[in-house]
Amino acid sequence: MDEKLLEIRHLSKTFGNHQVLKDIDFTVNRGDVISIIGASGSGKSTLLRCVNLLETPTSGEVIYDGINVADRKVNAPEYRSHVGMVFQSFNLFNNMTVLKNCMVGQIKVLKRSKEEAEKTALLYLNKVGMTPYINAKPRQMSGGQKQRVAIARALAMGPDVLLFDEPTSALDPEMVGEVLSVMKQLAREGMTMLVVTHEMAFARDVSNRVVYMNDGVICEQGTPEQVFGDPQKQETKEFLSRFLKD
Amino acid sequence: MDKLLKLTEDIKILWTNYSDQYLIGIRNTLILAVVATLVGCLIGFVCGILNTIPCAKQDPPLKRFFLKLIRAIVRIYVEVFRGTPMVLQAVFIFYGLPYFTDGAISFKGMSGIWMAAMVVVSVNTGAYMAESVRGGINSVDSGQTEGAKAIGMTHVQTMTNVIMPQAIRNIIPQIGNNFIINIKDTSVMFVIGFVEFFGAHRNIVGMNLKYFPSAVIEMVGYLTLTLVASFLLRWLEKKMDGSDHYELVQEDPLVMTAGTYRHPNRGSCLDEQSREFSKAGKRKSGRQEGGR
Repeated sequence: MDEKLLEIRHLSKTFGNHQVLKDIDFTVNRGDVISIIGASGSGKSTLLRCVNLLETPTSGEVIYDGINVADRKVNAPEYRSHVGMVFQSFNLFNNMTVLKNCMVGQIKVLKRSKEEAEKTALLYLNKVGMTPYINAKPRQMSGGQKQRVAIARALAMGPDVLLFDEPTSALDPEMVGEVLSVMKQLAREGMTMLVVTHEMAFARDVSNRVVYMNDGVICEQGTPEQVFGDPQKQETKEFLSRFLKD
Repeated sequence: MDKLLKLTEDIKILWTNYSDQYLIGIRNTLILAVVATLVGCLIGFVCGILNTIPCAKQDPPLKRFFLKLIRAIVRIYVEVFRGTPMVLQAVFIFYGLPYFTDGAISFKGMSGIWMAAMVVVSVNTGAYMAESVRGGINSVDSGQTEGAKAIGMTHVQTMTNVIMPQAIRNIIPQIGNNFIINIKDTSVMFVIGFVEFFGAHRNIVGMNLKYFPSAVIEMVGYLTLTLVASFLLRWLEKKMDGSDHYELVQEDPLVMTAGTYRHPNRGSCLDEQSREFSKAGKRKSGRQEGGR
C-alpha cells in the first residue's frame, strides 16, 4: 500500500542571504493527502514550488519515480506534466476560454488529439461543475469558478500528484466552500494531494497527514489527530491556539 | 474671402495637372509604410523575444554567454537606431555601403532606392518595436508563465501559446503608433531620391512654385491617411478583444431554459462610473436574446 511517490531529501532553498528552507525531509506515498500548515513566511509555498521545480532547490533531492528531478540534467517540463499545480491566483490563461485552458496542455505537452483532449477536458470540467461555462473567458468568472477550472485543468493532465498552493486564500468566504468540496471529493477518490492551506478544518478532516512548518523547517508532522489533538512542540501549540481561537 | 477662392482655384489647377503624381506619391508612401511596419514588427518581435529568454544562474556558462551576447547586440542596435535621425541613417546606408564596399553593394536605379528606403525604415521601426515587444512580454502577469510551466510547457510552448497572444494584444496600440509615424516620417526618404507623397510635392512645386496650395493638399492627404489608419487599427483592436458575452452550455440539451448570457458592459476600469447600470449598458446587459 505504501508506495512511495515523491521523496524529498535534505532540501534547502536560499534567496540571497535568506535561507527559506532548511534541510527538509519528507515522503509522499500514493494516495496521501498531506496538509502543510504554518505561519506566513514559514516556507510552505516555497517547499511546494520546489517540489514542482518552479523554484530550483539550492541543494537536496526531489526523487520522483527513482530519479532525482532536482538535477539540472532532468527535463523539468516533462516532470512537471506529471505533477499538477493549483495556484492561489488561479493563473488561468487569460487568452483562452475555459475549455481551451483545459485542452492546451493535453494537446501541446501530452500530444493528445484534439478530440481526445476535448473529451478529457469535458470529463473533468463536469467533475468540478463547470461544464456550463466552457465558452467563458477567465475574466468573466468569479474566483471560485476560476479555481475550479484551474483544478480541472490540472486534472486533465492526468497527474500522479496534485499540489495546491493556498487554493482558497484569494477567494471570498462564500466561494471557499465550492472549491473545498471539489478538493474533498478528489481526496475521497484517492488522488495524491499536497495542500498548503490555512483552512484548519480541511487539514483536520480531509488529510491523512499534517505537516506543521515553522521558520523553514518541518517542526512537527503526524496524523491530524496527533497534530491537532496532542501537539508535542511548543511552537505548534502556540500556532494552533492562535488559529483555533476564532 | 477672395484669398480662399484663389486657394481653391490653385488647388484645382494643381490637382487637374498633377493628380497622378500625388496619387503615385500616396501609393508609394503607403507601400513603404505598410511593408516597413510589418518587417519592422518582425525584427522587433525577434529582438524582443531573444531579449526575454530567461537566463538563470544555474544555466551552463556557454548558454549564459550567448544570451548575454545577444542581449548586448540587441541593446546596441536599439540604442543606435533609436538615437539617430532616420534621415541620416538613410544617407549612411544609401551612400555608406557603396563607399565602403567600393560599389560591390550599391543601390542602383529605382529598385535600389526602394530597397534602401525599405531597409532604413524597417530597421528603424524594428528598433522601436524591439522595446515595445519587450515591454509587452514583461507586462503579461508572471502567473501566466507559471501556470503554463506547471502543466509541463516548455519555454517555447509557453511563449507561443500563452504569452505572445497576450503580449501582441498589449502592443497593438504601439504597432499602430509606429505605422502612423511611418506614414509621416517616410517623407524624409527624399534625401535618397525616393518619391513618396511629400517627394511628389517637392517635384511639383519645383515646376510651378505653388508652395502653399500644394502644402494644403499634402496636409489634407496625410491627415486622411493617418485618420483612416487609426480607424482601422481601432477596429482591429476591438475585434481581437473578442465578444463580451458567452453562451451557457446546458448539460442536458432537453432543458429549455438556456439563454445567451451577456457579460455586462462595464466599460473600462478607468471610467468615472461603471457603464453597467447606465442607459447604454442596460440595453446590453442582463440575460436575454431568447432561448436556444
